[in-house]
Amino acid sequence: MDIGPYVLQLFSGLSRAMVLFLLSAGLSLIFGVMNILNFAHATLWLLSGYITFSIFQFLGEQFGASPLLLLPSIAWATALMALIGFALERFLIRQTYERELPEQLLLTFALVLIVGDLIKLIWGVENRRINLGVEPMEMLDTLVNPYHFVIVGTGVAVAAGLWFFLHRTRFGKIVRAAVYSRSMVSALGIRIPMIYGLVFAAGVGLAGFAGGVFLPLLPMALGVDHDVIVQCFAVVVIGGFGSMLGTFVASLIVGVVYAFSILFWPDGALAMIFLIVIVVLIWRPWGLFGTELRY
Amino acid sequence: MEAKDLKWDALTEHLKLSRRDFVFSVLASGALSLAPRLAAAQAAAAPYKIGVLLPSTGTGANYMAHCIKGLPVAIAELNKRGGLLGKHPVQMVYRDTETKPDVGSREAKSLILNDKVNAIFGTYSSAVALAIQEIIHEHKVLHFAATSNSSKITQENYTPYTYQFCPDSNMQSGAVVVAVSRMAKKNNWKSYVSLGQDYEWGRDTHKGFTTGLAKVSPEIKEARQMWFKLGETDFTSYITAIMAAKPDFMFGAVAGKDAETFMQQAGQMGLFKRVPFPGGLIAVNDLKAQRKTLPRGIIGLARCPFFAHLKEPIMQAYIKRDRAAFGADGYPDDWACMYYDALGGLEQGAKKAGSIGTEAIVKALKGATIDTCRGKRAFRDCSNQLEVPSYVGEVWDSPDYPFPIYKPDTMVLVEAKEVWTPTCQEVEQLKKKRA
Repeated sequence: MDIGPYVLQLFSGLSRAMVLFLLSAGLSLIFGVMNILNFAHATLWLLSGYITFSIFQFLGEQFGASPLLLLPSIAWATALMALIGFALERFLIRQTYERELPEQLLLTFALVLIVGDLIKLIWGVENRRINLGVEPMEMLDTLVNPYHFVIVGTGVAVAAGLWFFLHRTRFGKIVRAAVYSRSMVSALGIRIPMIYGLVFAAGVGLAGFAGGVFLPLLPMALGVDHDVIVQCFAVVVIGGFGSMLGTFVASLIVGVVYAFSILFWPDGALAMIFLIVIVVLIWRPWGLFGTELRY
Repeated sequence: MEAKDLKWDALTEHLKLSRRDFVFSVLASGALSLAPRLAAAQAAAAPYKIGVLLPSTGTGANYMAHCIKGLPVAIAELNKRGGLLGKHPVQMVYRDTETKPDVGSREAKSLILNDKVNAIFGTYSSAVALAIQEIIHEHKVLHFAATSNSSKITQENYTPYTYQFCPDSNMQSGAVVVAVSRMAKKNNWKSYVSLGQDYEWGRDTHKGFTTGLAKVSPEIKEARQMWFKLGETDFTSYITAIMAAKPDFMFGAVAGKDAETFMQQAGQMGLFKRVPFPGGLIAVNDLKAQRKTLPRGIIGLARCPFFAHLKEPIMQAYIKRDRAAFGADGYPDDWACMYYDALGGLEQGAKKAGSIGTEAIVKALKGATIDTCRGKRAFRDCSNQLEVPSYVGEVWDSPDYPFPIYKPDTMVLVEAKEVWTPTCQEVEQLKKKRA
């Protein structure tokens, strides 16, 4: 039996999983700590893709085109997006903490439309892409895109980094504590508004980072965010809002199940994912790794 | 009595009129002589409103970009000649369909009821076109389609108000069948995998291709078909599954942003080095956008590539004007070209009808031959489908353009009549479905 195709399908599933994880991590973090369902998460991710593209182009004009320029472009775009996230929390999101969830959703949905129009205004409707000129490499008698290794590696590194941050740093521990009891954290003299601002900035920064990382794989186009946000919600629902481990595992499940569904039952690939969502919602509404307390 | 009054009296006496009757008569005759002039002035001021329903967001946005910015330039040029019939200036009202049938229907209604448009140009997606046709038919508004090309638009969903300027999905699939069957014989191909967008156009195109190929080359079997939702962002798993099936070639019903994403990711994964992809939609905008990455030698399908009709005076003028408006790289793409033909069709229809009335134009265009960027082309009497060719060719670097084009000596123009299915008799049967 030739196992090559299955290994490759597994690899493609892992790659898809890491794409989903990078996209969903910020969404999960923001909801977990702040109880804000940021509908504009994928739109901010898209905005970051356009910003990364512009920085990459600018640097290319200044220093000559090189694939390595992608690294500073991503770093700057991530920092800029974190700043935008901080400002958004400060001036907009903060106004909705005491409001009902539908109002928060409406506000973040308004952001989707505003940012979408802003992108159209600045960059136009043409798709933006970065071509790194990477050649496919041979693996198991077939060809793969080496950049997928970068995606998988980046996903694992971000997951490890987030785990380290949340479990091994003081600020991370405060963030985790805030997930369970804001009043207790506040009673300890820690400024919750500042924590919220930084967490929102970190979540948007993660989206920004993902936007830059995907640019060599996916042309940035208006409307992509609408397609992506649904998948992000599926991942976060399966994993459990606020659980980074849950988001990681759910991404793996969704990515691998989707990849093998395409191999064996392509017509039902998407249905399989939402079947899992339904099962989780019925059996464990708080998600695989979420806690009942939050629910 | 003064001399002036004497003259007046003499005049009224001569005409046998009282002074008051004379004044009324002069005023009335003056009004009568002015009436035609006033009417003409009013007619000259009456604009002809075109509602343009195309997406600037969603999967078709990249395909429609040139079209959306090009139509106002073409309309301005038409208005320099006075507009339709030389006296009705054309006004354009643009609305974004977001490539969604519900949004398209809403905007179509708004254009007709609020903006009172005389005609609708659009849409990009066949699903949107089929949805708005109901509104078009109900309100009896002229509809010029030039991108959405499901055969249902002019057959099962036929309405006399819709005219199609784009080769329909059957014609396009037929052209691919012609090209693929030739290549299959040459390369001894036996199996293929299909990948398509899971909506009206994708399914319709796939059906046209598989049915056509089964008739021409029944020995070639479809090993697998895969469908993806519109707006797919990651084709990796599809690409590895296609490679795992080890087909002799693949067929794709993929367009718009999805086509760009797929081509980029498939190219990076080396899919085209292992699996030939003949007849995938590669329009001029794809050739321009993917000039660096598009694999050379790949066989593409186009709908109205400017480089195939460089000898046509209308095309020459069109290229010149768009390059003047949008820079040296501003060559019109397939979609802009077809909508330019649609505008030309409207102008010629109004001229032939001698009126801007919808019914008059509909009657005038029925079976008419019009001048287009693609030469003289006639509308099929039974379906209002313009008899236009499809283009199959090999992507090749030309020294004349800053992007690749189809290699002129291997490009095949598959004329409409070569792939004209179904027959008019069958079309009449299909039209009854709508009734």
